[in-house]
Amino acid sequence: MKKHLHILTLLLAVALLFMSSCTNHPDVPSSSKAVKSLPDIFPDYCDVTVPCNIAPLNFMLPSDRYAACVARISTPDGQQRTYGQGVKVQIPESDWHTILHASTGKSIKVEVWGKTAKSESEQNGEWLSFSPFEIHVAEEPIDEYISYRLIEPSYVAWDYMEIAQRHLTTFEETQIFNNEITCVDKTKGQCINCHSYQNYKTDNMLFHVRLSNGGTVLVNDGKVSKVNMKRDYTISSGVYPAWHPTAKVIALSTNKTRQGFHTADPNKIEVYDMASDMILYDIATDSVIVVSADTTLLEVYPTWSPDGRYLYYCKSVPLPEELAGKDIRSTYQKVQYNLYRRSFDEPTLSFGEEELVYDAASQDKSATLPRISPDGHYLLFAQGRYGCFHIRHLDADILCMALDDEAAPDIDISKLNSEGFPDSYPSWSSNGHWIMCASRRDDSNYCRVYFSYFKDGKAEKAFMMPQEDPEHHTFFLKSYNRPEFMVEPVRISVDEFSKVFTD
Amino acid sequence: MKDLRFLCTLLFGVAVVLFFGMAYPHHLHYQEQYQLFLFDLGYVWEIVKLPGGLADLLGRFCTQFFLFAWVGATIIGILLSVVQLLTLRLTDWGRLYGLSYVPAFLLWLFLLDENALFGGVWAVVLTLLASWGFDKLRCGWTRRILLVIAIPLLYWMAGPVCIVFFLLQAPRPQRIPWYYGLFILLAVLPVLLSFYLPVSADKLWFGIHYHRYPTVFPSLLWSASLSIFVLTLIARGLHHWANASHRIVATLCSFGLVFAIMLAFVWKNTNSKAEKVMQYDFMARHQQWNRILETINAEKPNNPIGVTVQNLALAMHGLLPDHLFEYNQNGISGLFPSVERDATSPLPTAEVFYQLGMINVAQRTVFEAQEAILDFQKSARCYKRLAQTNLINGDYEVSRKYLTALQKTLFYSDWANETLPLLGDEDAISKHPEYGRLRQMAYKEDFYFSDHTTCQMLQNLFLSNTDNRLAYDYLLAYCLLTGDRETYYYVTSIKQ
Repeated sequence: MKKHLHILTLLLAVALLFMSSCTNHPDVPSSSKAVKSLPDIFPDYCDVTVPCNIAPLNFMLPSDRYAACVARISTPDGQQRTYGQGVKVQIPESDWHTILHASTGKSIKVEVWGKTAKSESEQNGEWLSFSPFEIHVAEEPIDEYISYRLIEPSYVAWDYMEIAQRHLTTFEETQIFNNEITCVDKTKGQCINCHSYQNYKTDNMLFHVRLSNGGTVLVNDGKVSKVNMKRDYTISSGVYPAWHPTAKVIALSTNKTRQGFHTADPNKIEVYDMASDMILYDIATDSVIVVSADTTLLEVYPTWSPDGRYLYYCKSVPLPEELAGKDIRSTYQKVQYNLYRRSFDEPTLSFGEEELVYDAASQDKSATLPRISPDGHYLLFAQGRYGCFHIRHLDADILCMALDDEAAPDIDISKLNSEGFPDSYPSWSSNGHWIMCASRRDDSNYCRVYFSYFKDGKAEKAFMMPQEDPEHHTFFLKSYNRPEFMVEPVRISVDEFSKVFTD
Repeated sequence: MKDLRFLCTLLFGVAVVLFFGMAYPHHLHYQEQYQLFLFDLGYVWEIVKLPGGLADLLGRFCTQFFLFAWVGATIIGILLSVVQLLTLRLTDWGRLYGLSYVPAFLLWLFLLDENALFGGVWAVVLTLLASWGFDKLRCGWTRRILLVIAIPLLYWMAGPVCIVFFLLQAPRPQRIPWYYGLFILLAVLPVLLSFYLPVSADKLWFGIHYHRYPTVFPSLLWSASLSIFVLTLIARGLHHWANASHRIVATLCSFGLVFAIMLAFVWKNTNSKAEKVMQYDFMARHQQWNRILETINAEKPNNPIGVTVQNLALAMHGLLPDHLFEYNQNGISGLFPSVERDATSPLPTAEVFYQLGMINVAQRTVFEAQEAILDFQKSARCYKRLAQTNLINGDYEVSRKYLTALQKTLFYSDWANETLPLLGDEDAISKHPEYGRLRQMAYKEDFYFSDHTTCQMLQNLFLSNTDNRLAYDYLLAYCLLTGDRETYYYVTSIKQ
């Protein structure tokens, strides 16, 4: 037995040795032509600020212009490492975390050399050395997990979709739920949508399913059930959810949502509400309380203040008199939302008077998707010229405003946004130092997850969620939808979730 | 005798090739257009990681050749002949030789369904190959150990139809203890896997990718598979009688009888109406406008897709308003069928939108068509069209994604390589005969597309560019079909 163990250990050691030898540490080119510009790497990690626990920032040079790429990474302790295979720079996780550890609170210096692809005039490509850039490593970690829905950016029909969770320190992505199991027959299948967690934890969470067997899959203290929040007095079941940070109540909007398809507008799709209200779902009593049900105005996207004392939400402003009552397909560009809040009394589950928080309409804008920072000082939201579905609006950006005097006086999050592409669905990490958003900035069609470091009212340059293969997001034909931070993974399996549809 | 049998197999194979090449070619095109076979390790892994994966992969690999119907027909002919030959080798059939064709004929019947996937046929072939290989092994421990390994391996490669392999190993009396052992192994496999794979238990029992409709039980495939075992049992049971004298005559008779009966079944179950619809779709896809006119002049189409394609071809030749009523019409649905979420109607409808210059609408329709593919596959045809619509719209990076994927295909890579340099090259696009024309025809002013504003849509399109002859013809046809004289005179006055 002992002999076998020895052999096994030896084999494992050889295997590990072999695996470690697979890492490519190329030599820096002996001669190269200096180029006074930053390398055109994808994803763009030049001069970004990253958390001290992020997965390796693998990147690549464009394969149509370059044949090879070498990167030399220098840490403040004087260590240098080189990486590169083909046009890709893929850093092993163990190396990367050593690099991060040595650079926390400081910066990593990255020098990149690119060998140009052969052309008709040049038989052999030449090596170019680009201006070095830095990656700043913040001391504040990012929440270890995020979850998102992976979906084709489709119109009406839907195909295979899933809610997945990603461990941000590594490249591990696992499924929380997919609709294949419940969707063997599309006429009986489901579309999965909005998911939400209570206070970044996963023991209390929910997601919706629509169509056949539709309802809300609710996890209450780790126990899975399916509930139907539709009542005779609500216009739909719950749609956009927000768990109260401490109590077992969930604020939700109820929506009668429609889509329109543009014939020429580059926005392509318009998602709008014919009607929307807000409800409060009390898990203990399975009761639905109407929070607001103004038949002439639209209330949507509830979110709680971190102390749970206020419910923030968006509400449309009345249309000009001449447009009132007209088909929304002709008035949608005039529908604008402001941000409001109401105080909440947890023992009685009652709400106070409505207060205007942000008047977007007076600036001919529309504000949606409010999110309060964990310290309660800042409010993030998405803003576009009109409507409620900014992820489809090319002019949509994320804005931040102070909520109290403790916020920094000069707030600037412009580095988070892209120019001319939709940026939407902002959220805060649990320590309030990382902002996450969904953005179509890479091609205007496929949403990707971006992070930005936030400190003292300033957001640093946003960077794309790293992938093991830096080319992944070039080919990946799914959008990342509703990215949410979590401090722990969802532990319930796909199978366990599926059982609530068959039981 | 051996030569005679070879001739019979050849005759069968040729019959299959001729049938699919001549009577069913567009069913093969239909199959090809609802998949995207990529020469990419990630794609291959996604397929082979599930039970039945190798059969599925081989099926998809072969299906890409269905783009060329005769090549597809030949592949089917060869594979069905292989099924017959492998069935023949299982036992001595004697007078019952004709029965060795039954499984292959049942697979032929299975393939008449346009949603039957070719991976199912490969699953049977792999199962028969495994049985044939095992019959060549001597009895003993090596064979027994290999058998235990083969059961899960074959299940993973071919899927649950491999039960036939297990049954074929079972009936010999000396193998009874093994029989129970293997039975337990085979029965436990799907149950165990259902805990670990994101696949429902019934699919693990009946097959994941034998049929495009996940809820359809592929009964003909299973009949073909199980018939191998049942017929072998019969042949073995009637061994003495079957191997009596006059074997040549009896062999020929049994072959003729089975061939005639099964061929009659095949003919009876041939869906020529669907073939006709698919033919119109195929011709529209490849913009064979002259061939469409020849076809409609030979036989006027009486199905909605046929009428849609007929009107498009007439419009492409500038004949639509003048010759509209010489052909069958289907009201305004004959111009623009409403977009259904099914497998056949969206793509020809999208072709009309595309040719008219309604690029966003065409893009949406193609996207929806792809999303409607029931087994979650992607479509090379849809990818190609989405690359084109995004290119015309100036969404070059999105177009690049589709083109880069098409570069990994066998038959679309050349086109993708030719199209990639166009991205971002405004001058080249404006000079391109198709993309330049469609850019000029596109809507200048935005409004919401709706199924119920066809006249308004056409009018806006025409007013965006009064040189858009296709929009003009469609608008006139719309007025003629609805009796809208006011718009008719208004439009003709503008044109004059």
